[in-house]
Amino acid sequence: MIKAEHYLKSAWVRRQFELMLPLLSSGISAALQLGGKRLVEFNEAGHDLSEGAPGVRAFPLTLEGEQVGTLLLRLPAQNETAQVEAWGNLLAHSLQGMLEAEHGRRSVARETLESYREMALLQRAVTDLNHSLKPAAVVAALLKEFDGRNNTADYGAVFMRAADNDDCDLAVSFGENAGKDFARLKDSRLFADISVRETGDIVNDLSSSPLWAGDVANFQALLWLPLVADGERLGLLVLASRHIEGFSAADLKRAQTLSSVAATALRNAQLYAAEQKMFQSFVRVIATAIDAKSPYTAGHCRRVPEITLMIAEAAHQANSGPFVDFTLDEDERNAMEIAAMLHDCGKVVTPEWVVDKATKLDCIANRIHLVALRFEVLRRDALIARYRALAEGEKPESAETVYQERLRQLDDDFSFLEKCNTGTEFISSEHLARIESIAQQRWNDTRGENHPLLTENEVYNLAIQRGTLNPEERIIIEYHAVHTINMLSQIAFPRSLRNVTEYAAGHHERMDGKGYPRGLKGDQLSIPARMVAIADIFEALTAPDRPYRKPGKLSWAIDIMHRMKLDNHIDGDLFDLFLSEKVYLAYASKHLAANQIDEVDASRYLAGRGS
Amino acid sequence: MMSENAKIVIVDDEIHIRSLLEQTLEDLEGEPKILTAANGVEGLALIEREHPRLVFLDVMMPLMNGYEVCAAVRKNPALADITIVMLTAKGQESDRVKGLQEGAHRFITKPFDPDEILNLAREMLGHS
Ligand SMILES: [Fe+2]
Ligand SMILES: [Fe+2]
Repeated sequence: MIKAEHYLKSAWVRRQFELMLPLLSSGISAALQLGGKRLVEFNEAGHDLSEGAPGVRAFPLTLEGEQVGTLLLRLPAQNETAQVEAWGNLLAHSLQGMLEAEHGRRSVARETLESYREMALLQRAVTDLNHSLKPAAVVAALLKEFDGRNNTADYGAVFMRAADNDDCDLAVSFGENAGKDFARLKDSRLFADISVRETGDIVNDLSSSPLWAGDVANFQALLWLPLVADGERLGLLVLASRHIEGFSAADLKRAQTLSSVAATALRNAQLYAAEQKMFQSFVRVIATAIDAKSPYTAGHCRRVPEITLMIAEAAHQANSGPFVDFTLDEDERNAMEIAAMLHDCGKVVTPEWVVDKATKLDCIANRIHLVALRFEVLRRDALIARYRALAEGEKPESAETVYQERLRQLDDDFSFLEKCNTGTEFISSEHLARIESIAQQRWNDTRGENHPLLTENEVYNLAIQRGTLNPEERIIIEYHAVHTINMLSQIAFPRSLRNVTEYAAGHHERMDGKGYPRGLKGDQLSIPARMVAIADIFEALTAPDRPYRKPGKLSWAIDIMHRMKLDNHIDGDLFDLFLSEKVYLAYASKHLAANQIDEVDASRYLAGRGS
Repeated sequence: MMSENAKIVIVDDEIHIRSLLEQTLEDLEGEPKILTAANGVEGLALIEREHPRLVFLDVMMPLMNGYEVCAAVRKNPALADITIVMLTAKGQESDRVKGLQEGAHRFITKPFDPDEILNLAREMLGHS
């Protein structure tokens, strides 16, 4: 609608009248009516200056073929009609020219304002829509532009196209009962039509559409727009109004501007999400490979992240105590999960025979069986000696006694060695002396060559004081932590994951600096690194699927960890949190066998702790 | 409801900004009277004479810049009820602190969003 009353300034019109009217006659009355407004009136005598009043001559002013105003002139005498006509035409012509010029200027200005509007909208939308790298957040931000702030529509929704087919699924919506209504819309014939259209449009009266069967009672008008980026349809924006004529061309234009930005942001977010997913699955592949490498660590790399995150969550929730400042955002959660999954990745280069070395004489095969065979040779030597003695006329009784004594001694030695081999018992110097004396017995091989009963290497391994690993093997095992660092530091982690290596690499460090590989102290380790360390120990102690060992009971694991706290091995504050927030129990009830879960008297370990 | 004769003053040295703002504000309900000035000195005189409810004030102007006009208005207790909206060019956003110190209420970045101008004027003039 043309608002002509704004087109001319009353001061300017007044001046125009003042300059021109004296040329006509004194006592002239004049007025300019524009739009619904009397802009200027010169009427000292107070005549009726309305159109059609006696003696009043009216000159119409038009814009785009429509009358938008009237110039009104009234003269005291009737004899100057022709002159009034001429001057009136001139004045009207000049006003008409001004109006037209202003009309032109205003339409240019409107264009400018329109681009200002679009520019401002884009500027804001680009920031809002590109703020998140999550597809769901992008479409939510797009929809918010039509909800809340601008209230363009009563209802709105974004449908997302499936990656592998043409199905559109409702992603987000707003409006009363919008979820149900848009689900109904999705089943309509109209939706089937618009969801494959290349361009957006408005249906301002749904009841007039042949494809509309009143599918959604509340929808009277619909605006839709495909979200297209790189020529690919990613989804569909749908706005609905309760009212017929609910949308204007300006609404569609605005929606188009926003949707073009949103579609690009959406595409970027989808690409980013795909990259993330690929990276995560890659990490999982590595973790699975390590877990599959040895029955001793099956499931370890899968469960350690879970415990780590449970501890981190407990620290995040704490609103007092040492972890009051510890917070966890999504990036950090992601970093910790990846670090915990990869903490043992260095084990891919550790030889299996070391990882799996269940007994001291394990070496691809358990060499105790070779030793057993040699003992069998000695047993038979004893039998042969007995028969030889009999043949040489020895008394049967004494030959039998010697033979039985020899067998008893051999069996005794062998069962001693068997026990040593398991690594469950500490090897004292007496034990060592006995191993060495057993080793000095000799046997003959098939070629008649004479050997000691135990090789040097066998003695060396059987003499391991604690556990089954000799010092060289221990170094090989510990080297997995070095490999973890080496491997992870080759990954070009993005900024949000820049701490992954540190989190993963510290899991065998100790608070007192006696850990490996770097011998870092507690304050040199990040809190997440200390969390991974505790998770690693707890998982190893409670793992249900270790060959050669019964699954440990919960109370036993906690007791050992408590001793580790006292030894300044693990972080005491984290251990306390682990207990007081019952992280161990939450994990146990989810993953441990019922017979592993026994009573844990947490108060015993927490007693004496400052509150 | 705003009183029928609420006044709005626009002070900007660029004629197209004045005219675009004027055209935008004409859409306000209640037909407020819109007055314009092309520089700071003229603008201050207009504000003092007309005592508007709302002033749109450009920052960069010859003779007297927007901050100076703002400070002068704020010095006059009789004009304390005037709402001042500063118009800044893109890139001048860092000057906002200065404007706030001088007593401006709001900032609009040029090129402005006409809808934002209208919503702001409605809010400042006290109708929703
Ligand atoms: Fe490890
Ligand atoms: Fe581990």
